[in-house]
Amino acid sequence: MHELGIVYEVIKIVDEFVIANDLTKVDKIILEIGQLSQTIPHFVEACYPAAVSDTPYQETKLEIIVLPARGECQLCHEIFNVVDHRKICPNCQGEDFSLISGREFNIKEVVAY
Amino acid sequence: MEIYKVLEIKKSVYENNDREADLLRQELKKEQTFLLNLMSSPGSGKTTTLLRTIEALKDELRIAILEADIDSDVDAHAVAKTGTRVIQLHTGGMCHLDAGMTRQGLEGIGTDQTDLVVLENVGNLVCPAEFDTGASKNAMILSVPEGDDKPLKYPLMFSLVDVLLINKIDVKEHFDFDLAVLRERVKKLNPNLVVIPISAKTGEGIGEWADWLRGAVKSWNQPE
Repeated sequence: MHELGIVYEVIKIVDEFVIANDLTKVDKIILEIGQLSQTIPHFVEACYPAAVSDTPYQETKLEIIVLPARGECQLCHEIFNVVDHRKICPNCQGEDFSLISGREFNIKEVVAY
Repeated sequence: MEIYKVLEIKKSVYENNDREADLLRQELKKEQTFLLNLMSSPGSGKTTTLLRTIEALKDELRIAILEADIDSDVDAHAVAKTGTRVIQLHTGGMCHLDAGMTRQGLEGIGTDQTDLVVLENVGNLVCPAEFDTGASKNAMILSVPEGDDKPLKYPLMFSLVDVLLINKIDVKEHFDFDLAVLRERVKKLNPNLVVIPISAKTGEGIGEWADWLRGAVKSWNQPE
């Protein structure tokens, strides 16, 4: 499964952060996933328990914030949601847009002590 | 009572891998070793194409092959028969190779005295696209039976490769595969993409492909 490898990568980065900042326990990991990222939040949630099982993060919760896919129309500069409007500018019906956000896959923050 | 605090990381999940990949690329450039990352779906003829490529270039380039598979070493055996150095990497269930795994493979096979390393990535059009392996160039094989609509379904893969081989072109007449439509579709995603129709079976187009690869290796070894 595609998402599993990515969740391992998340755990690796969090682990480095925990060591670098002398943290003892992570209560929650908060991810930001763009609407156009190739990663599906639902599947990330589904495989997360398997990825953290038997690790120090077994009890750590996971929260996912979905970032909208926003594009700017090249013709009239309207900013619109690319997914909701099926890549067509709702203002001028132009089909040329540049993507502002939506491909992200970030670890936003952790709640820890 | 335990006091939790919120600590901002704000880091892309791909950042570590991207950094490792860049480092690997720089090292390979210094060693004058060209790494080609070859990606495709299962059954597109990757191994057969690879065998043809070895045949076309083995007299002028010192070639080594990294075979990545979730399990098995069927492909490595086929390549080893040609006398080419090959190493099998098992990804252990993972659907892609990252820069760290690629580095391990390169260290295993040894890159000094090697001009061209071809990394046969896991057969899959989604995950390998997201992880930079540190390759000098990225190539993809799309075979005719898969259909000309694949750029619509896997846009990321098509937008980041440097060269696209259309394999099994000899059976095009039997499928609803429109090469012109395909070219149009990939051009929208990646205007600079080089498209080369080939048949690994009959040898059609292999000359053009070998020329492209020869040229890419040559420019890789030019000082910047």
